[in-house]
Amino acid sequence: MSTLDIGGSHLDTSWFLLLSAILFTLGTVGVLIRRNPLVILISIELMLNAANLALVTFSRQLQNIDGQLFALMSMTVAAAEAVVGLAILVDIFRTRDAEDVDDLSELRG
Amino acid sequence: MAIAVFFVAAAMAVLGGIGVVAFHQPIRSVLSLVLVMLALSVLFLLLSAQFVFAVQIIVYAGAVMVLFLFVIALLGPARELGRGRLRFQTWLSALFVLVLLGLMWALLQGIQYRQPEKADPSWFGTVQSIAVGLFTTFLYPFELTSILLLVAAIGAIYLSRRHVDDL
Repeated sequence: MSTLDIGGSHLDTSWFLLLSAILFTLGTVGVLIRRNPLVILISIELMLNAANLALVTFSRQLQNIDGQLFALMSMTVAAAEAVVGLAILVDIFRTRDAEDVDDLSELRG
Repeated sequence: MAIAVFFVAAAMAVLGGIGVVAFHQPIRSVLSLVLVMLALSVLFLLLSAQFVFAVQIIVYAGAVMVLFLFVIALLGPARELGRGRLRFQTWLSALFVLVLLGLMWALLQGIQYRQPEKADPSWFGTVQSIAVGLFTTFLYPFELTSILLLVAAIGAIYLSRRHVDDL
């Protein structure tokens, strides 16, 4: 196990990684059991954030800036994903009377 | 001190994550996600990632979450009513998620790190170091990102246009 020296106190790297794993798992739960498409998108954002935490943690552990750059790239992708996903969502809710994702089980327009 | 900050932020993040999944009104899920993002930004600061911290607050907790709030305001308060068609779905997903968490836990047990590079602590994570990495090593991904954002903007405009036969 490896420790990080932060302001004199020693934190274990695996604590950050474990927190990241827990948040990713919570996001997975949200995607699997929730049926409101908006909440599913929110859960995907939660998973992306958990991945960002892991990237920044490894960047700090290896003292290499590349991990933070990856985190910035994934933030950009997350923003683009949110924009397109929400646009699709608004279009779906405008054209048909759907309650949740179970009502959207067909691909015909 | 840093340990206390870590545990407070981690508890906030986990509570917010539970809130995202557990709340039945989407607006509460969004506000829980804002809580998670603020807690994670504190952790980024602990990990000496100042620029990522600022971007997390301004872009993520600010812009993206406001986008979600706008869509909720547009669609109205939709609640999830009753149970879905697949009644075994919850239990099956609980099983899969436990397996996933166990897998990641097992991965963390056997983790071995490479020898850290010798980085200057006053340089690591600053805006300058981010910029040097972004405009030298990662120049092509950076430029491709601008194309990605352009495509996303065009796609959103195309999807949200008024249909001709609706008029």
